[in-house]
Amino acid sequence: MVMRNRAAWLPWALPAIVLVTVFFVAPFLLNVRFAFSSWTSFRAEITWNGLENFRTLIDQDLLANAVTVTVLYAILCMAIQNTVSLSLALALQRTSGINTVFRSAFFLPTLISPLAAGYIWRGLLAPDGAVNSFLGVEWAWLGEPSTALVVVAFIDAWKWSGLITLVYIAGLNSIPKSLLESATVDGAGPWTRFRRVVFPLLAPALTFNVAVTLVGALSAYDVIAATTGGGPGDHTRALNVVMRQQWGQGFFGSASALGFTVTLLVIATAVPLVWWLRRREVTA
Amino acid sequence: MRAVLKYTALTLFAIPWVLVPIWLVVVNSFKPAGEAAELGLGLPRTWAIAENYGIVLDRGGYLMGLVNSLKVTVPIVVAVVFLGAAAAWAFGRSRSRWLQAAYFVMGLSILLPPSIIPTVYLLRALSLDGGSLGYVLTMTGCRLGAVIFLATGFVRAFPRDLEDAAAIDGASRPQVFVRILLPLLRPVLFVGSVILIINVWNDFFFALFLLQGSANATLPLSLFQFASGTLQSLNWNLVFAHVLLTTLPLVAVYVVAQKRVLAGLTEGALKG
Repeated sequence: MVMRNRAAWLPWALPAIVLVTVFFVAPFLLNVRFAFSSWTSFRAEITWNGLENFRTLIDQDLLANAVTVTVLYAILCMAIQNTVSLSLALALQRTSGINTVFRSAFFLPTLISPLAAGYIWRGLLAPDGAVNSFLGVEWAWLGEPSTALVVVAFIDAWKWSGLITLVYIAGLNSIPKSLLESATVDGAGPWTRFRRVVFPLLAPALTFNVAVTLVGALSAYDVIAATTGGGPGDHTRALNVVMRQQWGQGFFGSASALGFTVTLLVIATAVPLVWWLRRREVTA
Repeated sequence: MRAVLKYTALTLFAIPWVLVPIWLVVVNSFKPAGEAAELGLGLPRTWAIAENYGIVLDRGGYLMGLVNSLKVTVPIVVAVVFLGAAAAWAFGRSRSRWLQAAYFVMGLSILLPPSIIPTVYLLRALSLDGGSLGYVLTMTGCRLGAVIFLATGFVRAFPRDLEDAAAIDGASRPQVFVRILLPLLRPVLFVGSVILIINVWNDFFFALFLLQGSANATLPLSLFQFASGTLQSLNWNLVFAHVLLTTLPLVAVYVVAQKRVLAGLTEGALKG
């Protein structure tokens, strides 16, 4: 039969394969080469130079700080986002009229661009802004080294929490009711039910959300560009921020090296995380 | 009683989380510059709606940004949905090793971050740099993986009897694709395009590297250029007017389609 003919499937996948190969895989492979090459706007010829780009970035005190900032940022984002979203999901799990209104309202920030989210919170958190006047303090949330990174991570988490909440609700609703009922019959209170039944069975949604939020936050740029630009000092200067600066100054090889560092961080985070979280997944 | 407590708590949380940010944007976009600089939440003492929005439309490049955003978002979504569905069909049904290897690469492309600097290099080599075509192709190549991955899972979970029966009845492959596969994949393609539209409409990072000049600037780029145009202290009234106008198209679509969007996202197109 025609449908079982092997070669006949290729044309269906070919356009997608070509696009992904040319515009994702090829740049990915080129990046491995550029990261270890000398390439600047002053010398357009691209030549192999080993670890020189990384060495230069380390000598300028840029690399170690950027890695630390990026990792901290990703962890903060992941923690804030998943705490807020899981709490909201637990409160709004049941599909009812009023819950739908709340779900819809909490989804709104997801529609706002991270850049716009940055401007909005920069306004709210300005020294003479609404947050400070409500709290009765005068604190430069984005200008103080101690709070800048947390606040920027919070803004990123704010923007995405609505979507992550819905994924958690989907996960919660896939848990069989019978299991919860029998746990109740066996005398389990709400907290025990959550810890012993809900939380373990939520593992697929948790895997997805933790991995997505961590990996996504490692590529942070937009919110930082709209709020601190990397400051105060270098306290929010994540890898992509330095990459953009290096690119702007014409150091294309160093910029590639920073991009490659993001890739390495993503691999180092995602592989063990997915493996570990998958291992503790149980099925109902 | 517990329900009352719960919804009171949720409302108290929703006020600073959702209402205050939106209110800040709206009310300050109605104020003259000096008043908006106070960043207060009170109503304007002097209203400056026409002036502010006039400036954003005139100098902020809003209309051109809107056209440019539409010009890239529509082709990207159409290409990702249709090429992704076609590929997912092949990956889900074919047993060819080569195709399975290609499917694995698609999976990797979801997780790994796109390499932006070599992309600029590549587009320059192909004489596609700076314009919207290069941007559309790049975004399509980088976003196909996720939709293919979701849709292939759907195809595999679905028995092929219907497709075989249609083929026996003499339907050509494109006919089977349009009449059987696309309707079958509708829920997952819908969820995929919702997330895709949000991401592409709001994309700033790729646009910053790949789109040159205000003639190509999408809305986020135009917002950034507009906000960065005034050094140090932002003109908050104008920035917020731009933010509002930039977000409005997406919110308008959401208001119309919110039931389906929320249901689609919660009813587990992400399962598997």
